[in-house]
Amino acid sequence: MENNGDVQMTAENDDQEEEEVTAQSVLLAIEEAWLNEKFAPEILPHRSDLVDCMLQQIMHMEENMKRLDKEDLRLMIHRMELDRIKYVITNYLRARLEKIEKYTIHILSQEATRSSEECYLTVAELQFAKEFLTNIEMLFKTIALQHMPGNFQTFEVDTLTVKPNLQTYVFLRANDRINGIIVPGSMDEEIDLEPGSQHIIQYSAVADLVKSGAVKLI
Amino acid sequence: MDPCEIEFLSEKELVSIIPNFSFDMIHLISGSVGPFRAGLPVKVPIWLAVNLKQQQKCRIINQDWMDADSLNEAKEEEKLSKLFTKMPSNHYMEEAQLLLNVASDDISDADRIKTAIKDIWDIRMSKLRTSIDAFLKSEGLHAKLDHLTAMEINSVRPLLPHALDQMLRIQTGGRATQSHYSGTSQ
Amino acid sequence: MYGRKGFKLISELDLYSDILPFNEALIKEVLQEMQSLYDANVANSNAIRNDNNMALLPSVQLRHIALKRNKRCILAYIYNRMRKLKELRWELGSILPPEINTNLINAEVQWFQSYNKSLAKYMRSLGEDHGFNLTTNMVPPKTLYVEVKCVEDFGKLELDDGQVILLKKNTYHLLPRSVCEPLIRQGILEHKST
Repeated sequence: MENNGDVQMTAENDDQEEEEVTAQSVLLAIEEAWLNEKFAPEILPHRSDLVDCMLQQIMHMEENMKRLDKEDLRLMIHRMELDRIKYVITNYLRARLEKIEKYTIHILSQEATRSSEECYLTVAELQFAKEFLTNIEMLFKTIALQHMPGNFQTFEVDTLTVKPNLQTYVFLRANDRINGIIVPGSMDEEIDLEPGSQHIIQYSAVADLVKSGAVKLI
Repeated sequence: MDPCEIEFLSEKELVSIIPNFSFDMIHLISGSVGPFRAGLPVKVPIWLAVNLKQQQKCRIINQDWMDADSLNEAKEEEKLSKLFTKMPSNHYMEEAQLLLNVASDDISDADRIKTAIKDIWDIRMSKLRTSIDAFLKSEGLHAKLDHLTAMEINSVRPLLPHALDQMLRIQTGGRATQSHYSGTSQ
Repeated sequence: MYGRKGFKLISELDLYSDILPFNEALIKEVLQEMQSLYDANVANSNAIRNDNNMALLPSVQLRHIALKRNKRCILAYIYNRMRKLKELRWELGSILPPEINTNLINAEVQWFQSYNKSLAKYMRSLGEDHGFNLTTNMVPPKTLYVEVKCVEDFGKLELDDGQVILLKKNTYHLLPRSVCEPLIRQGILEHKST
């Protein structure tokens, strides 16, 4: 770490090369998670592992940058790169928050059926979702519901639930070879995806493949 | 997706520059760049190349494929082919725009390159419109989009997925109504 | 006709993209309509039950649908105002300009504060509790510095590197993009037209 103020990728690892490959692959994985989240109608399983790791990388880097001279060329280059990475992370996490706000009730009820290992939301996101719902309920009750007659006062969870349209069409590129996807709406027509090939198809046909990483949305 | 986001993605592609300064390898999170030796070409991501160029720290070298003659050949091929031909880059349009914008003084033949790329784009877009039209009329449920580049796909979003979503709604809506009536008519 | 006032509420949302003064009078009228529909239905339901007067059933059903529609209109009105408020949180930050604030009723101000709190808590939790601000870096970065014009007196602004600059009306500055973004959204700075 003490090498004449030279900015290193990480502060803790001696094996620069290995760590670099890891950080780089984490970044690529976040970028893929970002685009998937942007294009998928439903909320996808969270990738806080990637986000936490990358935010840590950013912090290390910002720490190291403090030791650089103001005129150092690296300062500008690192800053630019960090801006790019922060943009991806911001946009990714915001896309998730937007879905949470839009489909709050639906997401919370789905989440309630999942065990802690298969949760789609992070602890903080779950907390945010619950608070968001409580706040809406409070708003509705204070302004309107409590002034309505009789049983119209209820906050009807069923009628207020908004669900994502899983049948919406999406663009995708296959990462792996996948055989025998049944085309929704067809008389059991099947298609095979070659690695690298691009398609448009209903999201519901590939939702599991997006989550497993066999395809990516584009 | 906003076109500026597609452009953002394209800025990850590499391009060769000739720096006018020397500097050791720089370890970025996305990988290392350099070492930079004044006068010697080195590959860097486009976002870096553009910024160095703006600060007059480098010259940008044409991408191999940014050559007017070969682009014009590709254009003829695109015209003749029924299918989409493979483009030299998934971001050919954005890369060309970015590099020609910032480094038209480094790139010889910039005008011819610009025209050729614009022509290729136009041919492909008109092909895309025709094939979408045919696809929708055939009530297709799935289409293969090989060789379509990022910006081209983005240009038919959200129209194409929306059109398909609406068609599906009309179809299933019709079915739901039918069953509804048959249910109440008894 | 039943439900007409409720519809008026909704069309108000459609006509204006800004947050107008909360239409308490109209909401009250819709609530009154709901009450009278409800009372009529209670009376009719009793008649149906006691006298077995089935001829009243269609009117009860009609009023019931009108009641549901009115409820839906009111909630949609509140919900969509909330959505606009939410957008403002991301655009302008946690303090609303007075011209918006005066158009809100108490419950909406409360909601806004709760939303602020939830969002702040969420952002603080990111990166293993080191915190990460999601309201900056909202557009793809292009260049590190942008040329901006100050269109409103702002006062001193401290940059990340400790440098302090004075933002006075009609002055031009070259500033880090991340610093400018929120100030541009707040209308204090604008991109210098080239």
